Amino acid sequence: MAELLGFADFRRAGWRHMKYLAAILLCSTLASAHEIGTTRVTAVFQQNGKYDVEIVTDASALIDKLEDATGGKAPAKITPELFQTFDPTFRQRVKLTFDGSGARPAITYSVEPPVDAMSATSVTMHLTGDIPSGAHNFSWNYAWTFASYAITIRNEGSSSTEWLEGDTSKTFALAFPVKPLSRWRIALRYLSLGFTHIVPLGYDHVLFVLGIYLLSRNAKAVLMQVSAFTIAHSITLGLSMYGLVHVSSKIVEPAIAISIAYVAIENVFLAELKSWRVALVFAFGLLHGMGFAGALKELGLPRSEFVTALITFNLGVEAGQLAVIATAFLLVGWTFAHRSWYRARIVIPASAMIACMALYWTVQRLAI
Amino acid sequence: MGIECTVPGFLCFVALTCQAALAHDMWIEPATFIPETGDIIALKLKVGQNLLGDPLARDSQLIKRFIVYDGNELKPVVGRDGGNPAGFIRPTQPGLLVIGYHSNPSTVDEAAEKFNQYLQEEGLDAIAALRAKTNQTNAPVREMFSRCAKSLLLSGPPSATQADKTLGFTLELVAERNPYLLRGGEDLPIRLTYQNHPLPGALVVAMNKANPGEKISARTGADGRVRLKLKPSGMWMVKAVHMIPAPAGADAQWQSYWASLTFGALAGGI
Repeated sequence: MAELLGFADFRRAGWRHMKYLAAILLCSTLASAHEIGTTRVTAVFQQNGKYDVEIVTDASALIDKLEDATGGKAPAKITPELFQTFDPTFRQRVKLTFDGSGARPAITYSVEPPVDAMSATSVTMHLTGDIPSGAHNFSWNYAWTFASYAITIRNEGSSSTEWLEGDTSKTFALAFPVKPLSRWRIALRYLSLGFTHIVPLGYDHVLFVLGIYLLSRNAKAVLMQVSAFTIAHSITLGLSMYGLVHVSSKIVEPAIAISIAYVAIENVFLAELKSWRVALVFAFGLLHGMGFAGALKELGLPRSEFVTALITFNLGVEAGQLAVIATAFLLVGWTFAHRSWYRARIVIPASAMIACMALYWTVQRLAI
Repeated sequence: MGIECTVPGFLCFVALTCQAALAHDMWIEPATFIPETGDIIALKLKVGQNLLGDPLARDSQLIKRFIVYDGNELKPVVGRDGGNPAGFIRPTQPGLLVIGYHSNPSTVDEAAEKFNQYLQEEGLDAIAALRAKTNQTNAPVREMFSRCAKSLLLSGPPSATQADKTLGFTLELVAERNPYLLRGGEDLPIRLTYQNHPLPGALVVAMNKANPGEKISARTGADGRVRLKLKPSGMWMVKAVHMIPAPAGADAQWQSYWASLTFGALAGGI
């Protein structure tokens, strides 16, 4: 009843299958018989300081895993956009570090339809980014494979392949240390990363700063709060980055949301600066600093220019906050702050909206 | 792992609370369990846990037997070496298709703790006791393992005359009733054999792809039989593991056999 398929199909063996076959043959020369999965990883490190890690895997198997991890149901049609929607989940399963510091690569997804009737649809992920300057080694972990898979490392002319089990990590020496960036370029880069961490990425910090601004039309009140906040977040950012303070993001992130809600709610009932408000803003600044540290750790810090990067990131954060205040001042403060209805029509409704948003984040962050 | 049923041959439900990633199951996953006659059906060989897994590429060095029985004769399952899916069949007349994949042994090195956990999870108490008796509990191991996977597909309407076939695998699960005729509340009788003889006292576990964390398990009676109450919907995998000391001269301490049997249900259940 089940008849042989035409052997013409076999002759049309696609390149993809030749790669699997090559992988099996390679493995059989290395060890005794071994079950080999269909995932392949190739990591390329280029002299120009870029890395590109390619993961090729069975598309439907990956969808099964993503559905299982999220409890969601993917549409039947396999598209790159489908994988893009699962990006946050996928990111948690790949760990890419240089000299022990985690890297956050850009990830693109592409779907390769079957090359013929005897192949499966596969998905290719490209994890790309800049190799941190002066990095000497690269560690890899893809904790979402159940079968052995091959990882090939290409490093300017040299190429080596190793077999990994699904849950193992491996560290590879880079054949050449990437030429370190100049101190000036690192400073500029982290200044920009700090700024973009507030505008446009850090909407929660933006609302906190707006909450500070809205309290009073008195410039001294704004200045005192901003100074307290800056000093405080600089302290915990530094201490956290040096590993002297560590509070789980499960505590820090909801606490940040609560701090925003508190400041906004207080604006509704308070129209002038009190000393306890400055003290509280200082305390909240300590929390936000730990949040900044979490973000900076995710971005990775060059070991050779740790202090430069830390200071310039903090300055970038500061510049972002001042930009928020300047914009708020130009949009509402400049024209309306002296009006009699400023507090009733702008400060109180805006603070109430900020408070609602922050309370929503608090619940959301506590639930995760 | 959860509660263990120690009454041989009796059905019990086990809700697993621990999902530690230990040893991995291997099963045959066809593109469909109810193919139309004449269609080409892709068969993936999957390795994983809780029916979540990765396909294996077809490896001719690893295949001892990869066959299909259509009620009349046994034929090889064709495929391209290195290919995924690993095999293809084309049913040419209605009936029950019995697919079998028996692998040559692979070896794996395991840390003592991981190995002990796996013995516990797979119900291999006798091996754990043997290790304890010889003071080997804390020793790492090298294990040879072979896969003995089967799958039942139905082309056309089900009938009581259609039956699973004993393929003569070292460890083999045989459904003693056509699972495609199962109605809600009925038991599926399954026999486990080792070297073609009934294997008593072995843990047989069933899981459904819709809710693989909730497992149904029973230990085989003296006749190697269990009866499992499986609702007739979705994809099922029934599995059992048997372990023996590796033969003298082998580069391993233990040798294991992993039997699995997958089957589906008619659209919308029966």
